[in-house]
Amino acid sequence: MDRNYHVFSDGRLERSDDTLRLVPEDGDDKKYIPIENAEAFFLHGQIDFNTRLMSFLNDRTVALHVFGWEDYYSGSVMPKRGQTSGKTVVNQVRAYEDSQHRRQLAAAIVRGSIHNMRTNAVYYNGRDHDLDDVIEDLEAAAARVDEELPVDELLGTEATAKKAYYRSFNEILPREFQLTQREYNPPPNEINSLISFGNSLVYANCVSAIRATALDPTISYLHEPGERRYSLSLDLADLFKPVLADRVLFRLVNRNQISETDFETELGSCLLNESGRKTYTKEFEETLERTVEHPALNRKVSYQYLMRLEAYKLKKHLLTGEEYDPFQRWW
Amino acid sequence: MTDTDPVDRLLATARGEPVDEPFRVTGVMMQYYHVCKRELWFESRDLEIDRENPTVVRGTRVDDTAYSDKRENLNLGMISLDLLDDGRVVEVKPSSTLTEPAEMQLSYYLWYLDRVADIERDGVLAHPRERSREPVELTDERAEEVEMAIRGIHNIVSQSSPPPAEEKPFCDSCAYHDFCWC
Ligand code: SF4
Repeated sequence: MDRNYHVFSDGRLERSDDTLRLVPEDGDDKKYIPIENAEAFFLHGQIDFNTRLMSFLNDRTVALHVFGWEDYYSGSVMPKRGQTSGKTVVNQVRAYEDSQHRRQLAAAIVRGSIHNMRTNAVYYNGRDHDLDDVIEDLEAAAARVDEELPVDELLGTEATAKKAYYRSFNEILPREFQLTQREYNPPPNEINSLISFGNSLVYANCVSAIRATALDPTISYLHEPGERRYSLSLDLADLFKPVLADRVLFRLVNRNQISETDFETELGSCLLNESGRKTYTKEFEETLERTVEHPALNRKVSYQYLMRLEAYKLKKHLLTGEEYDPFQRWW
Repeated sequence: MTDTDPVDRLLATARGEPVDEPFRVTGVMMQYYHVCKRELWFESRDLEIDRENPTVVRGTRVDDTAYSDKRENLNLGMISLDLLDDGRVVEVKPSSTLTEPAEMQLSYYLWYLDRVADIERDGVLAHPRERSREPVELTDERAEEVEMAIRGIHNIVSQSSPPPAEEKPFCDSCAYHDFCWC
């Protein structure tokens, strides 16, 4: 599986023969970045680039994910796809317009998402944290998931589950990282900032995974299409946030690898600074490379590849009518 | 759906006659019909294969390089075949295990040449790695087999779902592997 490169400095990214060159603004040495085996570049700093670079990335089918300052993810520049598939998009739209089919897919995503939250709670419950009531609430929410429910109620059920799940954060994390309330733009404190940053990395990776198929990233089932530019990515990201973002967060905070000095606090907002982002993305990328034995494929696959498989699964369901089983952590 | 014989529909399509529902069978489809019917169904839809899959890349390479010095490529609408300099149709088989699919693909080319273009040719099945060649001729029996296969292909690709997955020894090198099993 191809890897992600994160660029933190400010400067210029340019094509230099058959490779990429980063010219930092502060006069540091130029850096060459290999483009072979690159899945995507994540730009965290202020980066200038020109059309020559764009066509180069396009040829090599490498994406750029732009991470802004306050809201972290600000957009992607996606390479033109080699193949498009009218049939896939037609089937995607049909499933969206058939309200029963849409509810069925939305319910599957919520079911998978709650399952993956529960797996985290169970894991930490077995490690000296008392999370019995959180697990109970998650199970109650899971029991309410029904394909007959309208989509906004399914979203509501997921939101209720998340609320219960976030209570476990206070049990798992030290006192300085208490989560009183989940807030977004801008995140008001350290913990909200970590959750937001992690979620935006999961989201961007799902954007990359979807691009590897002919699925249209704007047609989604649980979230309303067009809610954000790539709403299908929001659907898939819900399944992976607990497995990727939250586990990384727990590990980093509990091992004291992230502390107050990794944030920039201003009136009403608290954002990860460069060193915090570097620490986080390093752990995150290592997690993406972890592998697990896949029972159906009979080989080990990386966590990153699981996102690609999820896009395949959805596409297969839409084209063949074979059942879509959402990703539920099985290990 | 019309109930005309798929073979007639294929011939009419190939000859450019007006057909209600054109029906095409490519050489690859003929091959997949004998390898894996699920793969054939995938191929008939616009599904992409994973081009990063190393086995797929290897397979393509054998085809591209073998006999490249004395081959001429002939494109005839739904099929594209290779001619040796003596005029025989050559089909390279990538491995010695899957002989039947390659043989059927070649037979289909010979049948197509005969029925569509009225050209009679002989064929050679070549295995460059083993330096072996085998002549293939379009006998009546073989032509009958080809037509049966065309009907079989039609039957598979007109289903709305693919046949279920069944583990086969060559699944590992199938371009659809992950898509098929995930
Ligand atoms: S993986 Fe196996 S069963 Fe699936 S399409 Fe390929 S050959 Fe057929």
